Amino acid sequence: MGVADDTEDHGGHHLPAVEDWPQGFGEASWWPFVSAAGGAGIYVGAALFIMTSGGSDLVPQIAGPAVIVGSIGLFLVGLYGWLYHAFVSAFWSGGTDEHGSRTLRFAMLLFLGTEVSTFGAGFIYYFFIRAGAWPPAELPPLVSSLVLANTALLVLSSVTLHYAHVGLRKGNRGRFLGLLAATLVLGAVFIGGQVFEYYEFIVHEGFTLTDGIFASAFFGLTGLHGLHVTLGAVLLGIVFVRSLFGQYSAERHTSVSTVSMYWHFVDVVWIFLVVVLYVGAVIGGAA
Amino acid sequence: MANGQIALTLLMGVLLVAVAAFLTRIEDWRSYTPLAGGGGGTAEESGYAHEEKPGGLIRWLTTVDHKDIGMLYGTYALATFTIGGLMVMIMRAELLDPAATLIESTTYNGLLTSHGITMLFLFGTPIIAAFSNYFIPLIIGADDMAFPRINAIAFWLLPPGALLIWAGFFVPGLAPAQVGWTMYAPLSVGVGAGTQSGAGVDLMLLGLHLTGVSATMGAINFIATIFTERAEDCTWANLDIFSWTILTQSGLILFAFPLLGSALVMLLLDRNFGTTFFAVEGGSPILWQHLFWFFGHPEVYILFLPPAGLISLILPKFSGRKLFGFKFVVYSTLAIGVLSFGVWAHHMFTTGIDPRIRGSFMAVSLAIAIPSAVKVFNWITTMWNGRVRLTAPMLFSIGTISNFIIGGITGVFLAAIPVDLVLHDTYYVVGHFHYIVMGVLGFMTFAGLYYWFPIFTGRMYQRTLAKWHFWLTFVGTQLTFFAMLLLGYLGMPRRYATYDFPIGPVDPVTALHQVATLGAFLIAIGFVIHVWNFVQSWSEGPILEDEDPWNLKEIGQYTREWEWHHRRMETAIADGGDEEVATDGGKESNEEELTTDGGENVSETDCSD
Ligand code: HEM
Ligand SMILES: [Cu+2]
Repeated sequence: MGVADDTEDHGGHHLPAVEDWPQGFGEASWWPFVSAAGGAGIYVGAALFIMTSGGSDLVPQIAGPAVIVGSIGLFLVGLYGWLYHAFVSAFWSGGTDEHGSRTLRFAMLLFLGTEVSTFGAGFIYYFFIRAGAWPPAELPPLVSSLVLANTALLVLSSVTLHYAHVGLRKGNRGRFLGLLAATLVLGAVFIGGQVFEYYEFIVHEGFTLTDGIFASAFFGLTGLHGLHVTLGAVLLGIVFVRSLFGQYSAERHTSVSTVSMYWHFVDVVWIFLVVVLYVGAVIGGAA
Repeated sequence: MANGQIALTLLMGVLLVAVAAFLTRIEDWRSYTPLAGGGGGTAEESGYAHEEKPGGLIRWLTTVDHKDIGMLYGTYALATFTIGGLMVMIMRAELLDPAATLIESTTYNGLLTSHGITMLFLFGTPIIAAFSNYFIPLIIGADDMAFPRINAIAFWLLPPGALLIWAGFFVPGLAPAQVGWTMYAPLSVGVGAGTQSGAGVDLMLLGLHLTGVSATMGAINFIATIFTERAEDCTWANLDIFSWTILTQSGLILFAFPLLGSALVMLLLDRNFGTTFFAVEGGSPILWQHLFWFFGHPEVYILFLPPAGLISLILPKFSGRKLFGFKFVVYSTLAIGVLSFGVWAHHMFTTGIDPRIRGSFMAVSLAIAIPSAVKVFNWITTMWNGRVRLTAPMLFSIGTISNFIIGGITGVFLAAIPVDLVLHDTYYVVGHFHYIVMGVLGFMTFAGLYYWFPIFTGRMYQRTLAKWHFWLTFVGTQLTFFAMLLLGYLGMPRRYATYDFPIGPVDPVTALHQVATLGAFLIAIGFVIHVWNFVQSWSEGPILEDEDPWNLKEIGQYTREWEWHHRRMETAIADGGDEEVATDGGKESNEEELTTDGGENVSETDCSD
């Protein structure tokens, strides 16, 4: 990925993939193909799942989930090889690469731009029902101590991550590792809190995905956000493991900053979500 | 029924032949060496003793080189163009007479849906990516794309996407989706007695989502490349016009496709998990239309801007003059990019939305005609008093301008609410957008393929065949799509398999449909000639000794990608030429020689012309 992995330079022509398998070539890598096969396999698995639940007996019932799980595995293998060969293996021999780092941060910014659209569609649905079919038949007890605690945790995790990064920049490795670990724990607890909330709503309140207009908005948006937090936690985990192996320094911290950008973004989305979807729904009042 | 089966069998047969042909091309590609290095493990350009790529099929599966990925995109897009074209040929044959004679109307609906989606998502975006992948890094003097691996993964998501989209046709027990390319709710939610609740629709939605992910990855990559990978002498001030259009297009993709992605997921949830996103009692079917067209209108400019950039790039080369008003062409590109997010509701004038909203969307839609017209006038002025050379790429570019004038002006009519209320959902709309998707995107695809053929292959295409291709395509396009505009005036509704209904005059409608079918077959014949010309010239055409086949140096427009081409030729000659490698296939390349005779001595030149 990017110029960050231009570890070799031949006659002014960068070779982007010198480490990758198949080895010995500069412009060949199996990882994109493997990752794409895994990624597409997830879609194929979903397709099989929908087919079998629709009554098709072309493949056994288990095929869909099996293909999904297998494909996720394949995808992760591709991703692991990719990250390993592009960033990790040649980390120390690579030297600082200001240009590559700038490119990666810029790309993360662009990706966050796409995320605005991804979340946007869901929020637009919510605004649509607020202007139209509102009020819903029932609202679960939305604003609870759980949500407030979870919000506090997530905001706190953004703060700890920020100071972890600052610590790294100042060469304070202990602080970096400690605060990074704290961020990871806070993120995990947040996800736990969300799972608990789902459990409460579904099992005790009987409030499920199919419970009408608000349920669609609620589970759609919090589900999408939950997926993002989970992905963010995985990314933080990768950064954490790499830092345990001694990677990153005051000058070399590209993925720390890209992952921070992502994490802060997900945090901001959450605050917006709490204000609009949780508090907003209660203030707007149910029937 | 029987007819439908035969037609489908025929289609599948042709498809198989196409796949077989595609595979033999891959066989050919084992030795694909356009001129110099590039292929079979030969080091390229800079002459170091390091093999960049493995040989054979593995090379194509593992490549992260932007030029190779461009070739993959191109091959893929031409294959999907063929398939989408075959689908529409069956439909046009069915429309030769008013009754349902050849295929059933359900088959027609399935073909209609797949044709639209195939052409827009599987041909349109990928063929543009083919050109931009191959040439943007060369033109701006970058080593490669900013993220070569992401580039590769974006491509490899496309073939499975296509299979999912077409799955309804070949997976036993599934029916092809019949929801139209716009997938309007409540039909697409599965309401009704047809096949629309079947899994064929779900698979299509999944496939679409996958291709959307691919397009988004590509867009991020292009923006990052153009922003951060330019050579030092390539500044914003002298950035070439094609890069500007790709930059703008990628910006549109960045916000349009993810929104469609979410809308598709919401639709899938509605269909399978009982949510209410687009249900009448929930978000309402109108919400789907808003989300879809918020994506959909930028999408049409996603497909229009890069071909417009190709016109601006190719036209001056054969007019002997620089592009007239370069800055204004750039500004109009940016203006269209911004405005295109503010016009989506002109697709919804007849849905009963608030008249005040309608009015403002009408105003913005009319305004977008201004930057469009700026482009047209700049192109015409570029040719004015120029030394126009009517080569195949030039013919296609000029044809494109005339098509765009018709397509654009019909668009202005449709943007006027009173006119649209009459013409909405008639063939007039079909005529309007085909003048642009076929007449601009299709035409400029061919123009680009001819213009850069020498770079792709190191050879020249057969000029006479190319002229045949142009005239057949041009005449065919006018016949088909002008007939559609007239059909629209007669009130012929779009998306129908038959037209023996008692509204309106059947005789002129029949005649016009026959003209449209005739035109479509002319286009098809032209395309067959084109493919033949390409394949044959690629393998047997004369090898070009001249590094400047279009005499661009004479007019001072020998641009960077041709300089790169020249460097590559020199490297090949220094190594004893590509010919030898081709004749005595045994010794693939001599790396010792490469290290000593590398073509490093060629200096870089500035960004555009
Ligand atoms: C001069 C600028 C343009 C204007 C003012 C314009 C206006 C319109 C309007 C008002 C409609 C809706 C017609 C209806 O459904 O009743 C329409 C449809 C359409 N336009 Fe344009 N258009 C313009 C340029 C383009 C371009 C450049 C493309 C590029 C491909 C394009 C592609 C389409 C498509 C695909 C549809 C039909 C969508 C569908 O319903 O399936 N238009 N246009
Ligand atoms: Cu539009």
